Amino acid sequence: MINKLSEAYGRFISALALLGCLMLLFMMLLIVSDVALRNFAISGGPQGIGWSNEVSEFILYAVTLCVAPWLLRQGQHIRVDIILQALPKRVAWGFEWVGDLLGLACCLVISYYGVQATWASYSANSLNIKTLVTPEWWSLVPLPLVFSLLSIEMLFRMHRLWLAERGPRNDAVSAA
Amino acid sequence: MSSWQFAACLMLGGSTVLLFIGMPVALTFISINIVGAWLYMGGEPGMVQLVRSSVSSVMAFSLTPIPLFVLMGEILFHTGLAFKVIEGVERLIMRVPGRLAVVAVVAGTVFSAISGSTIATTAMLGSLMLPVMLARGYHPTIATGPIMAIGAVDMLIPPSALTVLLGSLSGISISKLLIGGVVPGLLLSICFVAWIIIRVRISPHLAPNETDLIEHKGWDRWQPFFAYVLPTLSIFAVVVGALAAGWATPTECAALGAFATMVLAACYKVLKWDAVLKSLKGTAGISGMILFIILGATTFAQILSFSGASTGLVQFITGQGLSTSWIVVGMMLLLIFLGIFVDQVSMMMITLPIFMPIVTALGIDPIWFGVMFLICMQLGLLLPPHGLLLMTMRGVAPPSVTMTHIFLAVGPYVVMSLILLTAVFFMPGIATWLPGWIG
Repeated sequence: MINKLSEAYGRFISALALLGCLMLLFMMLLIVSDVALRNFAISGGPQGIGWSNEVSEFILYAVTLCVAPWLLRQGQHIRVDIILQALPKRVAWGFEWVGDLLGLACCLVISYYGVQATWASYSANSLNIKTLVTPEWWSLVPLPLVFSLLSIEMLFRMHRLWLAERGPRNDAVSAA
Repeated sequence: MSSWQFAACLMLGGSTVLLFIGMPVALTFISINIVGAWLYMGGEPGMVQLVRSSVSSVMAFSLTPIPLFVLMGEILFHTGLAFKVIEGVERLIMRVPGRLAVVAVVAGTVFSAISGSTIATTAMLGSLMLPVMLARGYHPTIATGPIMAIGAVDMLIPPSALTVLLGSLSGISISKLLIGGVVPGLLLSICFVAWIIIRVRISPHLAPNETDLIEHKGWDRWQPFFAYVLPTLSIFAVVVGALAAGWATPTECAALGAFATMVLAACYKVLKWDAVLKSLKGTAGISGMILFIILGATTFAQILSFSGASTGLVQFITGQGLSTSWIVVGMMLLLIFLGIFVDQVSMMMITLPIFMPIVTALGIDPIWFGVMFLICMQLGLLLPPHGLLLMTMRGVAPPSVTMTHIFLAVGPYVVMSLILLTAVFFMPGIATWLPGWIG
């Protein structure tokens, strides 16, 4: 039952990551279009895309959040495992639990205060005033949503740890 | 223990402990931030502020080159265009001792100029050139060393995702930092080639003569260079040219570079949807993970500053009566030490909140400091036992190449990087001349 749920959830977060990939492609095309229109303006046409920077900034944030749960599933959130690899396997496995429980607590706390911040912003009708004027809660709401998804993935991660061989995981260790 | 000392121990000590028990780097910083925000930013209001700061930390236009630079390398790798570049370089370099090792360095330098990812460079060269070198009787140390070394140089030669991150987190001009890495990067490449030639002249058995080598003549020899290498290098011209000329910001240059790479791949008819998707997934993976760490770590620096720990540490260090030079030496030694254990992003996150106020307080040239910081990070990729590129090489090398071979192979290149670091320290012009000249 849990395995089936985990698989279905895995498909969902993969789809979310794919959405992130497509947004990345869109961001590149948006910036290139802006530069092209600014430097090779067609007479009577737009002189660049005024909101390009702002939307690109939001896309960068959205991509980061869209891929975060998928990266956790893939073990691609980098970490330092030099001590874990040196410790006896059972002790390292114990530390994996400590890390996972702290990670879960951390995701739940951010989800909770993310909701608080979003609600406060929504109630106060706070605005982001740049080239585009948008309600501030639009930019806040993805954070608690994604940290809730991360909390769920943390639970599946712990379930996988329970079923796995007693020892440290082989997660990624660098971003270079 | 005074309050700033307690805050420093809690924030820096706590994050170090969590890092070493294997918690993901991003969650480590977020966990410490939660404790720090609660204690030093007034409980619940501090937590709400933490959320807002986390959101604004990655909504920064200056960070967009990170995925775009990585995307350039991924496209070249997944479309197979990078392999054509190696073929083009290989055909040009003839009658040189250790020819294939030299080809690896030159092709790696070319690829560094169009890729923002050290892993992509090392994996590409390792998977393509290493089997050929070993099959032709090259000793594993002369076959693996240059590939790992030039992979690390990728971080210095623009475009480089980690340089953008360093500039963004430290407040150092990103474009000057990118350009500042060019001369040290090229110097290292030249030193690597010289070392290979000298080493093989002294011990010819390390790289046997290729007796069956077909020497191409005339146009046949130059055709792949003009067909693939030169057009690919034009991407570098687009990125650095537009940057140096001030026609576009680093961010816009990155987008132009990624777009130019796609256009080039389309011209060669290798831009398939499958390759694009693989490139996008690879890019989203690397950059998503870096940006998620930034989401946690930017607030870390703010809380460190808010608690008084940054000021306290800076006053403590600058009040010791040490000269500026010794303080810089101390910072570099700490970075090299950290490089043995932790990854490059964590190195930046842990040290920059302390180092940058010191740099400002002592009036140190930020470009000079930033380039030395990059060289230290580049060293971290090569330092045994956990250097990332040593592991990448282990992953692509056949079983006949042992970890001992890999450790021995990287030794001379680590020494050369240390010599370069020393040279930049005593002759800052190596790092600052080009950014200063371009303005």
